[in-house]
Amino acid sequence: MKRSKRIDLDLMRKVGSSVPTTPTLKPLAIAIAALLLTACGGKEEVKIVQSVDDCQNKTELTFEQCEAAYVKALAEAERTGPKYRSLSECETDFGTRQCRQSNQGGMFMPFMAGFMVSNLLSGRGGYGYNPVYHYQNSRSSYSNRLMTSDGAILGRPGRSSYNVSKSTLKPKPSVTRTVSRGGFGSKASAKSSWGGGKNSSGWGG
Amino acid sequence: MLRIPIAERARWIEKADEFGFKFHTMHGQKYWDESAYYQFTLKQIEDDLESPTEEIHQMCLSVVEKVVNDEDLLRRFCLPSRQWDFIRQSWLNGDPSLYSRLDFAYDGKGHAKLYENNADTPTSVYETGFWQWLWLQDNVDDGALSRQSDQFNSLQEKLVNRFKDIQFLTPDRTLHFSCCKDSPEDRGTVQYLEDCAKAAGISTAFVFIEDIGRDSIGNFTDLSDQVISWMFKLYPWEFMFDEEYSSCLGVNNIRWIEPPWKSILSNKALLPLLWKMFPGHPNLLPAFYEDELSLAGDMSSLVKKPIFSREGANISFLDESSSIKPTPGPYGEEGYIYQAVHMLPKFEDNYTLIGSWLVDDRAAGISIREDINPITQDMSRYLPHIIL
Repeated sequence: MKRSKRIDLDLMRKVGSSVPTTPTLKPLAIAIAALLLTACGGKEEVKIVQSVDDCQNKTELTFEQCEAAYVKALAEAERTGPKYRSLSECETDFGTRQCRQSNQGGMFMPFMAGFMVSNLLSGRGGYGYNPVYHYQNSRSSYSNRLMTSDGAILGRPGRSSYNVSKSTLKPKPSVTRTVSRGGFGSKASAKSSWGGGKNSSGWGG
Repeated sequence: MLRIPIAERARWIEKADEFGFKFHTMHGQKYWDESAYYQFTLKQIEDDLESPTEEIHQMCLSVVEKVVNDEDLLRRFCLPSRQWDFIRQSWLNGDPSLYSRLDFAYDGKGHAKLYENNADTPTSVYETGFWQWLWLQDNVDDGALSRQSDQFNSLQEKLVNRFKDIQFLTPDRTLHFSCCKDSPEDRGTVQYLEDCAKAAGISTAFVFIEDIGRDSIGNFTDLSDQVISWMFKLYPWEFMFDEEYSSCLGVNNIRWIEPPWKSILSNKALLPLLWKMFPGHPNLLPAFYEDELSLAGDMSSLVKKPIFSREGANISFLDESSSIKPTPGPYGEEGYIYQAVHMLPKFEDNYTLIGSWLVDDRAAGISIREDINPITQDMSRYLPHIIL
């Protein structure tokens, strides 16, 4: 056979498919995605610890391992954490005096409320060190929940352990401060204004 | 190779809606045309299209190898010197290619002749990989076509598998898809490829080309300020090389699909160099650079093509006896190449062009475009095909 053996038509359908919509709340970087936790399969039990001492008490890791995890989590927090243009916007979401200026400068980020320690820690290249934040926006139904930097809700604080989907343990995408936009696309708009007639044809070939 | 009329499927337009195929009709004209189909023999497909496609691709790779190491050639290809290193590094790193489309003139007999290589931003991938596949399935199910009918089209299957391979090199990165605003055709194409990537288990995001931002150290960002680390762009490299953010290219850590070295192949300067390196190859047409036209000898009919152009724009015939009008367009400022005239075959009143797809280095199927004019352009109709 010279053609694709099988194509799943349900996956190709665009109408009538019920794509779940994520309840989103987008200040600058956070989009809360509580749905992640209801996804089926691939659950992992994690502990959320607040300090190196807490880590040593609650988990089987040694002091050195806990310290290394803490340093890693701090670096991840700087790289991936929610970032806001103003202190007040950050404090609205994470509470008064719960925010700081980022090391890169110019942006405000919440303090890490703790970090995840998972059983997958060993030999997985840093999976499971993700920082955790305490979301406290009183106007949101997700107020008083712990979340990761991409907005995945873990649950209320204070539990001895949390069941999370494996994707929650993966490193999060970097978030940065955009200083300009629109540096691509000028050639296309110059060429499509030529002739005037066909400005909706594309740039493929 | 035959052109055979067939009844259109009842309610195919509703079906197009259902599957999100929004550009079957553009500017009030038919683009997807299922009032007829082309029929090939397996031998025609395998001997005359599939193997030449893979062979030409290998020849093209040897052109890349030569060009990245030769500044005179990089200049000939009109690639800006500040991007040479970026292009060269992507080749030396072995940055993986996803797909390409070679355009051929072929009439069912003899050798298919290469017109050009759409190596950077090929489109009509949805129509090919999915929509014509579905057309065959429906017509076989309805009894309108024989159960023995097949199609040269493993495009979707190969794309999904290729995405899986490429993901292996970039684990845990989100793949951002991008195209320009205001083109339903490009948006649909990119959506399809995003669906293929998702089917391969890749996490994806989308940002329009015009919305891409940068931070203070040159990272590119999407509208949520996420750093872009892996990107599919349906936007020509030669445009990007010439725009404001070009200074960030190669500075930031992004893996690109297609990779920057594809800018050497999507370039018409490829054609004369192929002819120099593989003179007389049965699937190539003689082609010449503007300053080496004397090499054309007494060849009287030539086609003039811009170094950079798309969708058949700015093509003209030099043969004085020819009555074919040049196509208009915005290209040509970088210069032209010349290719021996080899007219497209005619089926009834239609000139027919065959696009032959590659996923990485494997031939993956064909698409057919028809036009009443001898130069295929962006509004040329798309027709399905079968093998029987």
